[in-house]
Amino acid sequence: MNMDEELQDARLRELARLLGAGAAERLDVERAAQAVVTRLRERPRVTLRGWVWMQPAWLKIAAALVLVLGAGFVTRVLLRERLPAAAVVLPLGEDLTDLTADQLRETVGALEQTFADESPGALDAGLESLNTIELRALLRTLES
Amino acid sequence: MPQAQSLAAADAVLIAAWQGGDEQAAAELVRRHARALARFLAAAGAPEADLDDLVQETFIRAFRAVARFRGQCQFRTWLLTIGGNVLKDAARRFQQVRVVPLDDELRSRDGDPHETAVAGEVEGRLREMLERLPHMQREVFLLRAQQGLEYEEIAAALGTSPGAARVHYHHAVRRLKESLQ
Repeated sequence: MNMDEELQDARLRELARLLGAGAAERLDVERAAQAVVTRLRERPRVTLRGWVWMQPAWLKIAAALVLVLGAGFVTRVLLRERLPAAAVVLPLGEDLTDLTADQLRETVGALEQTFADESPGALDAGLESLNTIELRALLRTLES
Repeated sequence: MPQAQSLAAADAVLIAAWQGGDEQAAAELVRRHARALARFLAAAGAPEADLDDLVQETFIRAFRAVARFRGQCQFRTWLLTIGGNVLKDAARRFQQVRVVPLDDELRSRDGDPHETAVAGEVEGRLREMLERLPHMQREVFLLRAQQGLEYEEIAAALGTSPGAARVHYHHAVRRLKESLQ
């Protein structure tokens, strides 16, 4: 460090020492002391609300994230319990033409199970006797 | 530092008394440290109109959290770091451009009026630059340059290492020098 730099450092420290000195001198210390004591007396030491709001921002974000994820998980579980399995997995619609006879039987079987749960006896006919075209027709009927 | 040690011992007695419910001990701690805290806050950018409130808020927070103070540094140093956080929170609320008045010392300084004006301008620029520094650099610079604290003390108060405090200080000094040239 050369002489010029040392002088600059000394000047900087001197300036830093002067900063705020005037404002600090004008502070009424006794009034501040009494005001602090009064406020300490008035405000309860620790409130739950105060504790929550004093936490760092990252902690609040983490807590919010946990709440959102938890709520999402619970909602998902509840929805899964309500929806019939077939409603989620059945490949109805334009894909029917790609299915083999076995896949079609399996799909109709699943549908049959669903409908049987809701209205027992709705599909009593045996699927084994139907050919591919008949199965597709039946599926389209069920779909509509 | 025998004087600092005796000050710390006296503070410890007052803190213990406050924890035991002695309000006058709290008032005495305010009397002992309010001016240093005000100087620190004003230098860090606190508007003078809000200085009284910021000082009070800092003491309130400190007294509420005094159980967490375990003598890792001096009470005053710990108080100043709390003040820095109070100011940071308040700065979000201020969000305003302000004109910084020259300090009285600079206004009333004897000598060449031109020199006085130049000194005032330099101080104003320094204050502006300080406000633009990252929080950590500003705090370390003020604790070191304004309050005259050692790096070990600063590091203990800010929860960092003396080496890191030294680096923050040198970055701050470099940027401030650039702005003053």
